[in-house]
Amino acid sequence: MSGSGVGVSFRPGELEVRPDGTGNLLGSRCRACGAHFFPVREACAGCLSQDLETVAFSTEGILYTYTVVRQSIPAFEVPYILGYVDFPEGVRIMGQIAGIEPGDITIGMPMVLSIEPFGTDDDGNPLTGYRFRPRETN
Amino acid sequence: MTDVHVVGVGMTRFGKHPDSDATDLGAAAFLEAIADAGIDPRLVESAYVGHVFQGMVTGQRILAQVGLAGLPLSNVENACSSGATAIREASLAIRAGENDVVVAIGTEHLTSKFAGALTPDPSDPEAAVGATMPGVYAMRARRYMEEFGMTREQLALIPVKNKSNAAQNPLAHFRKEITVEDVLESRAIADPLRLHDCSPVTDGSAAVILMSDTAMKKYGNGRAIRLAASTLRSGSVDVEPTSMTYEPLTWLTAKEAYDKAGIGPEDVDFAEVHDCFSIAEVLRVEGLGLFEQGSYPWAVERGEANIGGRLPINPSGGLIGKGHPLGGTGVAQVVELVRQLRGEAGVRQIEGARIGVAHCRGGKAVGIEGAACTVQILVR
Ligand SMILES: [Zn+2]
Repeated sequence: MSGSGVGVSFRPGELEVRPDGTGNLLGSRCRACGAHFFPVREACAGCLSQDLETVAFSTEGILYTYTVVRQSIPAFEVPYILGYVDFPEGVRIMGQIAGIEPGDITIGMPMVLSIEPFGTDDDGNPLTGYRFRPRETN
Repeated sequence: MTDVHVVGVGMTRFGKHPDSDATDLGAAAFLEAIADAGIDPRLVESAYVGHVFQGMVTGQRILAQVGLAGLPLSNVENACSSGATAIREASLAIRAGENDVVVAIGTEHLTSKFAGALTPDPSDPEAAVGATMPGVYAMRARRYMEEFGMTREQLALIPVKNKSNAAQNPLAHFRKEITVEDVLESRAIADPLRLHDCSPVTDGSAAVILMSDTAMKKYGNGRAIRLAASTLRSGSVDVEPTSMTYEPLTWLTAKEAYDKAGIGPEDVDFAEVHDCFSIAEVLRVEGLGLFEQGSYPWAVERGEANIGGRLPINPSGGLIGKGHPLGGTGVAQVVELVRQLRGEAGVRQIEGARIGVAHCRGGKAVGIEGAACTVQILVR
């Protein structure tokens, strides 16, 4: 994981970042039925219990699908790779993918969460966000 | 409970309208629908007006433009299902016995609001990492190709079909036929989707006049088509990751409509479905139960979805060919259904059509399958 530029989370309610450059995506776990949700919810869609706790998700998952975005809004420089990763808790989370050429990506490949500089706030101060990177083999 | 009948329909040309706005277009569609119904506009008792980016009280502006003030009027926003939701609300006012003559209008002047890729609301966590609507559908296309073996060339046959239909539709945004090569050589938007796979940024409006049984007896014109069902659902929250190549939301919305109309998918003669992207047409028709899951690209290859085929899909040209003025889209689908069922569709006429289905699905929010889905069933 890259530790450079680690500072303020771009979405503090959804991504926790720590000074050592690590971090986790955050969501809810239902204490009644065990279901997990991203982002944090007020009630469980499975059983409607409001007894939810905020939890940090695992940092490794499996790529469900992906694309290369070549036309976007001005806030995002194109092209960039976008994908959905399925995490073991049972949540699917969208993120940009880095560290691999599009032609080398395959559905089902293991991905890890990477905490990285990601955009700026309204005053131009750098923010910390996340990307997914292929898990290093061996 | 009374039935609901579509008595008059109107629709502007879809395309770029640099010299008018959503109000002008809505007023033009309304006046055409009134003329088509052959009624005095003062008979209209309430109005529902669907639009997304047109700002406050666009509906009131439209009715002020045509001299009709004072009616109960609701502006309706449900993303790409806004116009279809307006029709549903109008039909409920009639079924509830509150009104006998109601207008539903859908309008959008999209070219003045933005260009390029539509994105989810900026507050959404997926928008924050760069989600675009073409990007989301591109990911669904990629997954569908992986699961079912659909080829890029097969997917290209959908815009080829829809733009061929649009070329025969004088109100369509695109009037030019294209080839598979044109699709594959068009600009890349979000891999594997290219420009011809995407619906365009379009201005346009449509309007329909609905009546109760009672009003039909007094003012009906003999060309009415029955709105046998009009259903609406929102996407469920995912309790666990679900398939992105199948649409339970579309099926549940459709199932309720089939049950209300007393029919099944096997009874449907043709459909206008929400092909905001080429892959979306595949997901819609399979979700509606009109084609088996994983089969539609091959059915298109065999010509089954063409006008004259076993089950024509998007004879108007669809969103890809006719255009996609968000609020106007769902109402324009019903205009096409009515014209087909009346036998007034000209060179695009589907012979013997008796039952048509319109499907819209719009919006994206994190963690739910889809935002707003509508299904309308019209029966001659
Ligand atoms: Zn629960």
